Amino acid sequence: MRKEDTVKLISAEGFEFVIHKEAAMVSQTIRNMLTSPGSFAETEHGEVTFPEISTTILEKICQYFYWSLQYANGKETEFPIEPELTLELMMAANYLHT
Amino acid sequence: MEIETESRLVRLCIEAACESRESVEKWRKQRRTLNSMPSPLADALLRRLFLRRLLFPSLLEVFKRSVEVVDLKGENNVDAEWMAYLGAFRYLRSLNLADCHRINNSALWSLVGMTSLKEVDISRCAKVTDAGIRHLVSISTLQILRISETGVTADGIKLLSSLATLFVLDLGGLPVTDTALSSLQALTKLEYLDLWGSNISNKGATVLKKFPKLKFLGLAWTNVTILPNLSSLECLNLSNCTVNSVLQGNGNKAHLTKLICSGATFTNEAEAFLYFNTCFLSFLDVSNSSLNGFYFLHHLKAMEYLDLSSSMIGDDSIEAVASIGAILRNLNLGKTRVTSAGVAILVGHVPKLENLSLSHTPVDDLAMSYIGMMPSLKHVDLNNTIINGFIQQDGAEPNLISSLTALHSLKGLESLNLECANIKDEAVDPLSNFQELRLLSLKSPSLTDISLYHLSSLPKIRNLGIRDAVLTDSGLFSFRPPATLEMLDLRGCWLLTEDAILSFRKRHPLIELRHEHVVSTSDQTARRRLTPPRTFLRPPQVNQKQEKLIVSQYFIG
Repeated sequence: MRKEDTVKLISAEGFEFVIHKEAAMVSQTIRNMLTSPGSFAETEHGEVTFPEISTTILEKICQYFYWSLQYANGKETEFPIEPELTLELMMAANYLHT
Repeated sequence: MEIETESRLVRLCIEAACESRESVEKWRKQRRTLNSMPSPLADALLRRLFLRRLLFPSLLEVFKRSVEVVDLKGENNVDAEWMAYLGAFRYLRSLNLADCHRINNSALWSLVGMTSLKEVDISRCAKVTDAGIRHLVSISTLQILRISETGVTADGIKLLSSLATLFVLDLGGLPVTDTALSSLQALTKLEYLDLWGSNISNKGATVLKKFPKLKFLGLAWTNVTILPNLSSLECLNLSNCTVNSVLQGNGNKAHLTKLICSGATFTNEAEAFLYFNTCFLSFLDVSNSSLNGFYFLHHLKAMEYLDLSSSMIGDDSIEAVASIGAILRNLNLGKTRVTSAGVAILVGHVPKLENLSLSHTPVDDLAMSYIGMMPSLKHVDLNNTIINGFIQQDGAEPNLISSLTALHSLKGLESLNLECANIKDEAVDPLSNFQELRLLSLKSPSLTDISLYHLSSLPKIRNLGIRDAVLTDSGLFSFRPPATLEMLDLRGCWLLTEDAILSFRKRHPLIELRHEHVVSTSDQTARRRLTPPRTFLRPPQVNQKQEKLIVSQYFIG
């Protein structure tokens, strides 16, 4: 994976997730951060920090990004969500427009 | 109100959260998260719980700091206990309790003094009386109030005059008297007022001039025959009234966009449409009315929706419809004397016509070629006509030519109702080539398995009806329904046995089958309600402004 093809997502606890840019772009919010003109720190370093999103939830979000790409390519599997995660995941998804 | 949200993951989360009682128990203790949840999400979650029948009074408690919109319409369990919890919803903006029959005056007591509530609907809560209104008038923020068909009397209605911010008030089916209406004059912000079925007289109607912003007025089923000039008015419903004069008087003429006079009796036809500016009228329903002359139609150049069904119109007046056809999208001529010759007059004058109904008219197969020349048609209703699918061609050797092939030119045709008793299998054959057809209804005792077989090749069909036909068990067994089929209506197909119906339902559980042998349709719908398909959360329309939504609701007749 070439560095310029990846992006680093950092959780509230400081945990870092390095994922493909293509996957991260599933989120409209991240897409806007990475592609908007001007010199966002995010655009330059390919790094986004989410002080409101816990590590557990951010991990699930990353899984969703990859699931979503597969789904778009016609692989129709279920995306399992544990009931105890639903509320926080919902709020994070709402924030990320994904 | 259906909740819509843009995000797919949000939708998946809501589904997972509302999977079962057990899943609810897994998250309901997460108080901090619930309290900080943005209201659109909380509203959507609450709505989904309700639709999944997982909502109960004490569960409401966890939403008291987040939810703004609660729609419990039609839920019979909703009672004072539910209301006690809802009364504690700090940010509650809109509460729909329509058709919640257990709601009574004491249940409404919980709402006393709420500070964010703008919209309340208790339509058809028959147990609510004037005492309930006393509770509601303590909510000074109310802007939209619907109390139609409750037990409220004229005295209770007078109390509403203190709700100075009201702009929508639905008093339908209540005994509103002239004096009660007069006492509402203080409500100068009113834009929408429905008084159908009230006791208002012509004298009371003069008071309506005191509402300077009134846009929608409903006076259906009243004794009002003379309506004064209300220059702000845009939408007027005078269904089933005896109409003498409409909006006559001095000052600016009203710019009506929508007029509904279904079932009305006109005592003075010549003047009926004289006193308001007809340039903006885009919606006119004069179905079932006493109108005899239709010359007035010539002036209605903005017409988009025209309902002339069950009226006296005949071929001689169709020219008037043609003259205003430029932007006409919807035309209902059902149950009139209009014949194929009348339909011919419309050809070339209705370029935007999408919906056309000629049901219960004497049109025959000749009309098909004319209908085929109306390029924008999407929905065509020809039920109970004498159409049989063939045109008899004169000549030395009489020759039968299919009339339905003329509809092939309609590239956008989505729904077709051909419930005509004379249609035979040979006539149905050309229908199997209709690529865009989503809904097709046939009803004829001459149809057999052959038609069912032909129609299985319709690529986009969703609803297919072949009623009263002589379909056999083996015909149904060998029927391969198209993948898109959602509903198959075989009512009146008397040869089909219970076993054949049962076996079809087993083989195709996702297709809703209608037939006399399917007794448990209510079970089926109940089950559907419990597990609505994924599509229940439709993609956005959410960003339409709230105001816009309200306005569109007004203008529903």
